[in-house]
Amino acid sequence: MNPVHADILERLSELLGADRVKTDPDSLANYGKDWTRANDPRPTAIVFPGSIDEVQAIVRLANEYACALVPSGGRTGLSGGAVACQGEIVVSFERMNKILDFDPVDRQVICQPGVVTEVLQNFAEEQQLFYPVDFASSGSSQIGGNVATNAGGIKVIRYGLTRDWVVGMKVVTGSGELLDLNHGLIKNATGYDLRHLFIGSEGTLGLIVELTLKLTTPPKDPMVLVLAVDAMESAMDVLRSFQSRLPLTAFEFFSEKALRHVLAEKGLQRPCETVGEFYALIEFENVSEHTLDQAMEAFEYCMEQGWALDGTLSQSSAQARDLWRLREDISETIARFTPYKNDISVRVSRVPAFLREVDAIVSSRYPDFEIIWFGHIGDGNVHLNILKPDALDKAVFFKQCAEVSVEIFECVERFGGSVSAEHGVGLLKKPFLHYSRSAGEIACMKALKQVFDPRGVMNPGKIFD
Amino acid sequence: MKILVAVKRVVDANVKIRVKADNSGVELTNAKMAINPFCEIAVEEAIRIKEKGQADEVIVVSIGDKACQEQIRTSLALGADRGIHVEAEDGVQPLAVAKILKALIDKEGIGLVLLGKQSIDSDNNQVAQMLAALGNMPQGTFACAVELTDGKVKVTREIDGGEQTVLLSLPAVISSDLRLNEPRYASLPNIMKAKKKPIDTVTPADLGVNTASGLKIIAVEPPPARSAGVKVADVDELISKLKTEAKVI
Ligand SMILES: Cc1cc2nc3c(=O)[nH]c(=O)nc-3n(C[C@H](O)[C@H](O)[C@H](O)COP(=O)(O)OP(=O)(O)OC[C@H]3O[C@@H](n4cnc5c(N)ncnc54)[C@H](O)[C@@H]3O)c2cc1C
Repeated sequence: MNPVHADILERLSELLGADRVKTDPDSLANYGKDWTRANDPRPTAIVFPGSIDEVQAIVRLANEYACALVPSGGRTGLSGGAVACQGEIVVSFERMNKILDFDPVDRQVICQPGVVTEVLQNFAEEQQLFYPVDFASSGSSQIGGNVATNAGGIKVIRYGLTRDWVVGMKVVTGSGELLDLNHGLIKNATGYDLRHLFIGSEGTLGLIVELTLKLTTPPKDPMVLVLAVDAMESAMDVLRSFQSRLPLTAFEFFSEKALRHVLAEKGLQRPCETVGEFYALIEFENVSEHTLDQAMEAFEYCMEQGWALDGTLSQSSAQARDLWRLREDISETIARFTPYKNDISVRVSRVPAFLREVDAIVSSRYPDFEIIWFGHIGDGNVHLNILKPDALDKAVFFKQCAEVSVEIFECVERFGGSVSAEHGVGLLKKPFLHYSRSAGEIACMKALKQVFDPRGVMNPGKIFD
Repeated sequence: MKILVAVKRVVDANVKIRVKADNSGVELTNAKMAINPFCEIAVEEAIRIKEKGQADEVIVVSIGDKACQEQIRTSLALGADRGIHVEAEDGVQPLAVAKILKALIDKEGIGLVLLGKQSIDSDNNQVAQMLAALGNMPQGTFACAVELTDGKVKVTREIDGGEQTVLLSLPAVISSDLRLNEPRYASLPNIMKAKKKPIDTVTPADLGVNTASGLKIIAVEPPPARSAGVKVADVDELISKLKTEAKVI
């Protein structure tokens, strides 16, 4: 990519108005990064389109001047996908944040990509419906960013990923063409479903400029259990015991070390007196008068087997919310330790053996680092966070972590798992993509990018080079 | 000493309330219900007193239809010893509640009564005061600290602009404010044990109380919808709007 031509900034100002092209240092530092801190932001400018036409015009200019664009949503990404560190122009969707239409018969909502996830969740609630994709960053992340990363979160075990809720999408491809994909159809067997290529494409194929999402019936009276478990592996036995008896909406886990950080930082109460090495957070729908008995039965069984040591059950939605915070506040709490994040997954059945191996690697290779485990273990997805010791330089720390990552990812590969379960590849996982994707697959991905983005203006250097 | 705690089953604090179409009340069908938060604090305080060895028994009472046994069970799981369910139709008014509690105090020989300062559904804040008057007992309302010493109870009360400490002789009535304590979670083993703890059912008539009320609710209406915010161009416009429209300065 060429260095940005001064002319393009002028043309962008003509197009959008000078106040929607920002080049001040604060804006550059702020909009040039996501939640990751491994790369320092260095964009040339930030632009704020307000319409699809304006997005198209921006992409055409980028093609004309061979200038790289970085799509930017809520900047909560954990893979560096929205980081602009080589003079790119950042396209922020902050202004395209309106809910455009809702159809109660279709139970579908049409919205602009910059709608904040939580705003959509609240909108659904007002219609007495439910948008189920949820995670700790939903108060800042945008629907466009969620679709671009195919975000997962805490309800995947029941409701699936963002992909499962996208029924229509308008995109401006890297060549500036506007595509209107699937427009809300449930069934549509007319060849390649291009919508699914853009879901999870991390802004490398085009810009998502409008979305049609479906909503569903809200869960009935969700209740939360937190169990202290004796060992990481038992979490899967606990999962099976509860899954066979109850309609689960979430199954999460976290370590005592993670809990301790959250309790200290947030002033919350311990879930139960007994300290476990790990905790399982289980959410289920209280569908009938027998549900609670079944929950107790599952708990008793887990106690008898020695997997569960103690636990609590929410008695009000305030308690349910506080118990959820024990899990949801982890990422935010440990952020100040500049953690090195691994977001790895294997098939659920392989989790115990996989965890045993990964645990052995990290305990022998990181004897001096604090290791924080948590994640969506019901989906086979664990977040392994290595905290940076205060005294250690950031660059040195990340380099050491990347070396150990190789061993972890070799293990992921042996288990047929993924080096990025839900956070995307972006910049941070790019060197490791080949552990989860074959050379043939990567070649196909590159060929697809050529089709939609022949001049390579869309988020170059992300996912692969 | 026996402690009596009253708990009310109310709509969960986080439920978005909707008024019934005919304005006769709040829509409760399928709404999530929970223990009134102030009552939960009262239960916690009673259990803490017992855990310190300053009480022999914590008795929890709830007045309402059968469903309120759920909130009694929750209190038993938190550590109360036994429950009394006073079976009555919903909507028993504060004076009748106070009379029922007075009858139970006499029957059980209660040394200390702990109540929530108000229930979050009807927001009356009356029962503790009425009960104290009916029983000719001292009262410590809006408690943020409770300490038993030498057969008396010291209660720190939240009052406008500060705190007031009162020393009450027993038997006494205390109503809890929000900051009195942070209620514990109910542990699963204790929830299981609570199933075996006894709950007696009685009726107001058994206690010689007539719950008929002279109060009639004419209409329930939602608060007016808040109007949307406005953006102002500068500080001068803000100040002028605060003066002329909001009239706050
Ligand atoms: C505390 C915390 C907890 C999290 N928990 C989870 C979790 O449980 N599950 C999970 O999946 N993720 C989680 N994340 C990661 C993150 O929130 C998600 O990846 C989210 O979907 C990113 O959305 P965003 O709007 O912030 O996107 P950004 O970070 O702004 O961008 C993400 C990617 O999408 C691209 N993009 C953004 N908008 C568009 C668009 N309109 N068109 C094309 N491309 C676009 C960007 O270029 C970038 O590659 C968490 C993050 C934090 C900070």
